[in-house]
Amino acid sequence: MASSQYNFKKIVTIPTAQDFIDIILSKTQRKTPTVVHKQYKIARIRNFYLRKIKFTQQSFHDKLQLILTEFPKLEEVHPFYADLMNVLYDKNHYKLALGQLNIAKNLIDNVAKDYGRMMKFADSLYRCKCLKRAALGRMATIIKRQAQSLQYLEQVRQHLSRLPSIDPNTRTLLICGYPNVGKSSFLNKITRADVEVQPYAFTTKSLYVGHTDYKYLRWQVVDTPGILDHSLEDRNTIEMQAITALAHLRAAILYVMDISETCGYTLEEQLNLFNNIKVLFTNKPLLIVLNKIDIKQFDELSEEKKAVFEQFRKDDVRIIEMSTFSEEGVIEVRNEACDRLLAHRVDIKLKSRKVNDVLNRLHVTQPQKRDERVRAPYIPEGVIQRLESMQVTNNNNDQNVSIEKKKTERDLEIELEEDYHLDLRKTWSLKDNDERYDILPEIYRNKNVADFIDPDIMTKLEELEREEEAREQAGFYDMNESEDDEETTAIRKLAKKIRYKRQVIIGEARSKKQARRTPSVPRPKRAVDRENLENTMSGLGIDMDNKEDSHYVAKVHETRSRSLSRPEIKRKREDSEGHVRSSSKVPRDQSGVRDVTMAKKARKINKISQRKMNLGGKTGEADRRIFIKKPKHLFSGKRSTGKTDRR
Amino acid sequence: MRLETCYYCSSTIWPGHGIQFVRNDCKIFRFCRSRCHRAFKKKWNPRKSRWTKAHRKFTGKDLATDPTFEFEKRRNEPVKYNRELWQNTLQAMERVEEVRTKRERHHIMKRLRQGTFDRKAADLREVRDYIHLVRAPNATKPMEEIEMVQKAIAKREEAGELLTKVGTTVATTKKLSALRRRAPKIDVIIETSDTEQMIAEDVE
Repeated sequence: MASSQYNFKKIVTIPTAQDFIDIILSKTQRKTPTVVHKQYKIARIRNFYLRKIKFTQQSFHDKLQLILTEFPKLEEVHPFYADLMNVLYDKNHYKLALGQLNIAKNLIDNVAKDYGRMMKFADSLYRCKCLKRAALGRMATIIKRQAQSLQYLEQVRQHLSRLPSIDPNTRTLLICGYPNVGKSSFLNKITRADVEVQPYAFTTKSLYVGHTDYKYLRWQVVDTPGILDHSLEDRNTIEMQAITALAHLRAAILYVMDISETCGYTLEEQLNLFNNIKVLFTNKPLLIVLNKIDIKQFDELSEEKKAVFEQFRKDDVRIIEMSTFSEEGVIEVRNEACDRLLAHRVDIKLKSRKVNDVLNRLHVTQPQKRDERVRAPYIPEGVIQRLESMQVTNNNNDQNVSIEKKKTERDLEIELEEDYHLDLRKTWSLKDNDERYDILPEIYRNKNVADFIDPDIMTKLEELEREEEAREQAGFYDMNESEDDEETTAIRKLAKKIRYKRQVIIGEARSKKQARRTPSVPRPKRAVDRENLENTMSGLGIDMDNKEDSHYVAKVHETRSRSLSRPEIKRKREDSEGHVRSSSKVPRDQSGVRDVTMAKKARKINKISQRKMNLGGKTGEADRRIFIKKPKHLFSGKRSTGKTDRR
Repeated sequence: MRLETCYYCSSTIWPGHGIQFVRNDCKIFRFCRSRCHRAFKKKWNPRKSRWTKAHRKFTGKDLATDPTFEFEKRRNEPVKYNRELWQNTLQAMERVEEVRTKRERHHIMKRLRQGTFDRKAADLREVRDYIHLVRAPNATKPMEEIEMVQKAIAKREEAGELLTKVGTTVATTKKLSALRRRAPKIDVIIETSDTEQMIAEDVE
């Protein structure tokens, strides 16, 4: 919990008022835009100045907020620290200072709000600027007025960070007593603290903490400044610190007394003080420590002095003597105090409600006997015998008890020095101990030997052998390698031939299919070669001998239809007009025209029909006609570059 | 020193080779080389990678279950050393390996032998069905070899060697004939309209 933290070192540094203002104003200057002109739009100018006001307000607000949250609230810290801070810094003053800062923060917020509102009505750059200046100025003044508070809080912070970190809840020993009795020396002796020890009173002006270890635990030891014997109201700040510690820390109290009275106060005076502050010792383990016994022993005291301690004996308080100078009894004192405190703390814990959580950890369970069977611990025979032999030797020679020690490897190593080597196999106990030093193969024939080790391996092997023999006899391994007779070879050869032929046919069919699909230049038909035909057919076993009169034989002499009447006219592929002769197009002026006279007449009629039109000079079908005089795309529109005075 | 087997391809991993991968459930995967390791990382099934032993056993290409495999077993209980036992074990190892390799080879040969039979049957079918490609049905010229072959085929057919239809294997034909034996033949009668019947009659 942060509220019971005893570490006040993390509070942020508080600047002085002037510094504070400077920091924030320079920050505003740097972090907000700086350039504005009067010709900007008024909204923009207003925004610009408003931003500055808001920024300054926000920075002040954040910083003050930080200070307020980081300083400890006296209600939230441990009452020991609350009281201590009250003693040191005055609770009222502290609270007031923080309150003032809070008010300042609110005032700054209000200023910013007001001027922000007023900014809406500013109509020129000058007016906006004035408003901004006013706002920032007012904020600065508010902070200047807080200079005192800020200074005070800075001092408080510095002192707070140097307070000793005392944990109010852990085991603590508290040393108290008159000034100069030897409290600080005691602290120096038992801890690593190095507190100043001087012969004048009030050498120790504040609380000091040291840490010591006892029974595997950490103990805090708190040294207080000396307390004088007067009423509470008369006490000064230094004494009040001691009183606060006594009042709030639940610790073992070590009330140190100077038995030799060299501190300047008599034993009666010391006793008086004790009685006065006895109130603070209720419910705390108390220990009276008599210091400086190197100067004066308890027995050397006079009777009246000894009577002082009668009261302590009546109250049943433990008294221990020590001397911090000669270090006699110092440790005993510490041990005694720690033990008492521990016992006290345990008692308290037992009475509290949380004890049940702890009790579980303190209880030790023993297993219950479930039947009458004796389950004794097992001791090997060898050990029992050895123990007995030891007993016997003990009984026999009580004087020279020589326990027979086993010779260890180390002894052997020392004995043999260089010849020694660690022989792990010598402890092996096999059936035949001669075999101990055999070299064992681990891998044999690409296999792990360890995978085959089996006491029954020979029986299994025999079984396997038998099975193998049985299989062989049954003919399991006989491969009937039948010899290929000539029939089979002939069949195979023929099948091969057939397969080849089939492949060829299939391939041809495939390419024909492919050719049908893809565009290609058709090949001219080639006549079947007579020789090829006759060869293939005779290859297939058909008789092709007398085939002169068969239909496929090309005859030299054709029919007599056309050969003598007209010779073959060789004609050009293309005609005079460049049209391919094979095209069947008849020119228009010749289509349907039987002879020359008809052609002439047709031509004449054509010309006459055109005469009237030609004489009129009118636009004919062959003349150019413009359908759209002014197309829109040419007479409208802007040009992307240049002028539009040419269209 | 122990020879391990690769998780992926089942080859032996000699000392100083390969990578081991230990999974979060404490199962150890050993790989003989990066090929297997990478295949594993890609989550490939070794039974589907055709070059692995796992695939070969899975598809029956190699001998999978045999009494000789029982000899080599990972034993967790150590046996006390006994020279005689060790010597016997070494001899047994040799013998077991012999037997095992013999059986493995036999298994493979048996599998391959089936192929030769199939090829012979295929030859017979080929010749029987496509003889017309080498000898015209109406041929008159004598061709001795081919005639000899035809006689041989006729002889085998009489002998009853299973000569199946074109385009089927022995196995499928067996199945087909088994089916035919079990299921009765179904006669399908398609009802035709009157007009169709009349046309059919006219055509006839």
